Amino acid sequence: MNDQAYPDALKPQYRLHWYTIERVLGQGGFGITYLARDTNLDQLVAIKEYLPVEVVARGEDGRVRSRGDGQRDRYRWGLDRFIQEARTLARFDHPSIVRVHSVFEFNGTAYMVMRFEEGENFGALLERRGTLPEKELLRVLLPILDGLELVHGAGFIHRDIKPDNIHIRADGSPVLLDFGSARHALGKSRTLTILVAPGYAPFEQYGSNSENQGPWTDIYGLGATCYRAITGTPPLDAITRSKGILGSTREVLVPARTIGSGRYSGQLLAAMDHALEFAEKGRPQTVAEWRREILGEVIAKNAAPAAPERSVPVAPEKVAPPAVPPPAFPAPAVPPDHARAGWSGARAPIAWGVAGAAAGAIAIAVFLQMDNPRRDQEEKVKKEQLELDKELTRIQDEIKRSGLELKSLQKEREFDVKRVQEEKERLAELQKQAEKLRTAAAAPRKPSPEPAPLTKPRPRPEMVPIPPSPTPVPLTLAPLVELEPGEAPPVVAMAKPKPAPQADPLAKAEGALARGDYAGAREILVPLAQGGNTQAQVRLAEMYASGQGVSRNYIQAYIWYSLAARGGSTTAPADRDRMARLLQPVEVKQADKVVEGMRAR
Amino acid sequence: MVTRVFMVRGGRWLAGWCAVLAMLAAGCITDAQKRGAIDDINKAFRVDYEAILAEKGTRVYKVTRAEAYDAVRVSLARLGMIVEAQDPVLGYVNVYAPAPRPLSVEEWQQAAAADLPRTREIIGPHVGIYRHFFNFEATGLETVISGTVVQGPAGTEISFTARMRETAPPQSGFPRREYLPPTAVRMGLDKMWTEVEREFKATYRRP
Repeated sequence: MNDQAYPDALKPQYRLHWYTIERVLGQGGFGITYLARDTNLDQLVAIKEYLPVEVVARGEDGRVRSRGDGQRDRYRWGLDRFIQEARTLARFDHPSIVRVHSVFEFNGTAYMVMRFEEGENFGALLERRGTLPEKELLRVLLPILDGLELVHGAGFIHRDIKPDNIHIRADGSPVLLDFGSARHALGKSRTLTILVAPGYAPFEQYGSNSENQGPWTDIYGLGATCYRAITGTPPLDAITRSKGILGSTREVLVPARTIGSGRYSGQLLAAMDHALEFAEKGRPQTVAEWRREILGEVIAKNAAPAAPERSVPVAPEKVAPPAVPPPAFPAPAVPPDHARAGWSGARAPIAWGVAGAAAGAIAIAVFLQMDNPRRDQEEKVKKEQLELDKELTRIQDEIKRSGLELKSLQKEREFDVKRVQEEKERLAELQKQAEKLRTAAAAPRKPSPEPAPLTKPRPRPEMVPIPPSPTPVPLTLAPLVELEPGEAPPVVAMAKPKPAPQADPLAKAEGALARGDYAGAREILVPLAQGGNTQAQVRLAEMYASGQGVSRNYIQAYIWYSLAARGGSTTAPADRDRMARLLQPVEVKQADKVVEGMRAR
Repeated sequence: MVTRVFMVRGGRWLAGWCAVLAMLAAGCITDAQKRGAIDDINKAFRVDYEAILAEKGTRVYKVTRAEAYDAVRVSLARLGMIVEAQDPVLGYVNVYAPAPRPLSVEEWQQAAAADLPRTREIIGPHVGIYRHFFNFEATGLETVISGTVVQGPAGTEISFTARMRETAPPQSGFPRREYLPPTAVRMGLDKMWTEVEREFKATYRRP
């Protein structure tokens, strides 16, 4: 395995107490899972390392450190949740729940040691097979329900149920992996939409408030997993569904009972549709309740006749038609005996038909006549409803826009605070140099052949205070030593005060990054970085290091970190060294030449 | 990274059998043995690679930086490489293509044939007789080349480095190597310099 694909991962043969890392099993945004060997018991284990790369980086010594002071609390909070999750999981001993052996802190982060399960990921299995027959699906679903019931009973919710988080052992039994504490870890401030699995996460998981989450949240995830298993595609994501529901009062998700009719039992399809109800209150509230629906012990609350009750456009190539088309109307009633007695022979059906048609025509005419005012009323209500829907959409857009602006402003503020801090540090450095300068100036000079002219006492240099406001402060330096006219300045190397970085374009770039407009951010950052702005250089380097909006390129990241380090960035040297470890020594030399070339220019 | 070539000119069935045998052979070797073998190849190839780059990886031309940069880009494109990242201000260009590009299949077979005996010798102490089943794999790999252009006192300095990038897991069961076979590096560099100089001559009529 080439671990260059996982630059943040621990190297093979790395020792974590008595565990030896063998290789990386996978990496997500919140951590890396390794295959490791327990050298005491001589058995393979899976070890999950808490490593949210957004807020931490690994140092040369393997230790994990937060990317800045601002991230430290966030990281610690997430780490505590990770450890807590491990402790909670360790209490469960169920074949369908991943077995946690232990958890320990090491390298500035935490490691969760789990049983290594061989077999196939359920997501991969579905990818390979497309759909599953009911029997096989139940063989996966029911054991998972048993395990989940145990977990829910302990007041714990998985929050990330999807095919990729279910593992199928060689004997066909399933095991639920990857509980969602990691999401909590960054959920405090990170956009939640990127923390949930689209299609498998219910609408309540898109909000920052977790109060309305519960067993029904996991039931939705499992319902969606079943939907994927019978249709070949996951359900529409909850946001799209919400737009459908709020925008037109019509459900846009094709119900399972429409797609799976004739191929799967009605009770299973009804239970799936119940689990996939948009509103959390509309779903089964407990696993036990849902299991009873699946097994047909009770009828799902939303169980309906086989005909789709929701008026939805259905792509014909995607949806299998029901095996037996449901009758559009109830079967005609058998005519009563006394009627049959009065009409006999071949004329009887004709007479019945004529009479029926006449009665129908009269009924329609009467209905149309009588129903006009009611229809007007309905149209009026519909119109009002439409207006209200439009207003609601407008308000939703407004909220979304405000959210984005707020986020952008928060980023700008964070950046400003960081910059003020850097300027303070730079000022402190200059203060030190000023002190040296004063010492040098006050030192007795060698007697010169001619008496030196008297000089006035030199006033103490005044340092410009940094106001507490986060608004950008241009760094100005008061003259350190007042010289007499004609007096040569003392020969002490002075750091040339750098011009303050342009706050506005950088803030704009940060705003663009927050909005996910990487191309826009890059357009702003590149000229700034080329012009020597260290903040822009660091930001650009980060983009190249993470592949954010650009092709991941460690050489470019190394070059920009190096330039920023030379420009005085305090964080860049460590990041530059981290990049260097990912490059070949000759590539580092090559990049160093580019840096030299840039400096020379 | 491991690159494989079938030097057998016979039918595809023979190549297929070789692959099966190689896989079977790889299955008989423990992971630790494979790792040890690949580590040794990496060490040896790295020494060669760095020596080759010291000798052939950098050249200085009496042209401007912009002229050199353009020539590098054009030459690499002419060799079938695709630009992945570029920054003319830095003087950096990064290109890639499915292996064995920039070498042709024939050139690659030639390079692999030249390096295979030594490679098998290197891994012999780890895998014993199974060394004979080791081959270079060219599938599931991309060649990635980084070119830089820096203005120096004597002229404009052009440098190249190369590495392999994995796009699919290896079929052989052996882990991927990090360094390219030395003969392939040498041949690749020769090809690139030839193209660069051809470009200079064609455009500016000065080497």
